[in-house]
Amino acid sequence: MALPEVLIVDDDQLIRAMVRDALADVPCDIREADSGDAALAVIAERNPAVVLLDLVMPGKSGLDVLKSLKGTATRVLVLSALDTEALVQQALASGAHGFLAKPIHPLDVQNLVRGALEAARS
Amino acid sequence: MSEEYWLADSEARVLGPIGLEVITTLHARGKLLDVRAVSRDGRKFVPLREMPELQAVLSAPVTVTDAQRAQEEATRQIREWLASIQTRSSHEIFKVPQPASRDAWRAAFFALVHRYVPSRLPPDTTAELRLACEDAFLALSERMVEVERQFRTAATSLPPPPSIPAVEPPPTARIAHRNGVAQISLGLRRGDARPFTQDLEHSWQTDCLYVASNERLSPGTPAEIAVGFEGHVTQLHASGRVMAARVGGFTVRLLNLGEDQRALIRTWVARSTMK
Repeated sequence: MALPEVLIVDDDQLIRAMVRDALADVPCDIREADSGDAALAVIAERNPAVVLLDLVMPGKSGLDVLKSLKGTATRVLVLSALDTEALVQQALASGAHGFLAKPIHPLDVQNLVRGALEAARS
Repeated sequence: MSEEYWLADSEARVLGPIGLEVITTLHARGKLLDVRAVSRDGRKFVPLREMPELQAVLSAPVTVTDAQRAQEEATRQIREWLASIQTRSSHEIFKVPQPASRDAWRAAFFALVHRYVPSRLPPDTTAELRLACEDAFLALSERMVEVERQFRTAATSLPPPPSIPAVEPPPTARIAHRNGVAQISLGLRRGDARPFTQDLEHSWQTDCLYVASNERLSPGTPAEIAVGFEGHVTQLHASGRVMAARVGGFTVRLLNLGEDQRALIRTWVARSTMK
């Protein structure tokens, strides 16, 4: 059976590597995108179960990506250093299913993604 | 509906759409110190000065006195910590037990290093604090590289896996030829039923026998078989024909076996299998 796909969207390669490493024990196929536009292309092609989404990126921003995913089955978890309450609320109102403040902790990423994959399955 | 904006920084990274209220909050927290261009649709960006309402928000003074004091204190603490870890083992620094798995090391490394990742420091980080974070990031990374190197070395210096015990070659048959008939003589050691079981396609269950031999006999060649069983007086005598060539030998179909002969083979195979 094919593993669910998780897309990591961040323009920072180090953050992508850290998230990928944090998800090493989570049974999923991981894909990466370094911009909002690249993320939308991957989403259109692969329809990932979960997207980990940075908010500040070149081209289309994370919130732009988030809005285009609203109403779909994809679970979106926002990763951002801009963890103000107002922005978190805005991200959740735009369709995000979770918010993780940078700097991220591997266990937080794992737990959040495991939960999202469970929710995507059910 | 309130107006929404997109903000771009000096590296052309975009945040938006967000409302003025969110922008005001982020600015007050010192999170938006590098806004270079703004947009109302996320496509056409103009300099900040062309949107006075945004410029007013983003040019408001940010209270940084306390923040600056906190950064000075953080810088001092990091410098002290960096000095203290020079004489400490990686186990102490990463707080991992001894021994620890590679995953445990990596988790501890990421948990510790994330606060020092230079590219993720807030834009308003002072130069002194930024430098201290870079030094901490470098020091931890160097330790982790060493840990990873030790794991790789350990993996390559592991003792070789135990060698597979040598398998005794199957008993080699003696073959003679008389009047176009192959006279095959085979002696089986106690517990060795391989001639009856080795060829899964043609085994004892279909009255067949595998004969290990360097001699190649054509399929159809008539054969007279004599099989001796170690510890048994009784021998198996049967006629047959070569069925198929196999790697290192050939298979013979035993013809006209009686029930007592089949019982002998069956018992031998069963005892050998139970060994």
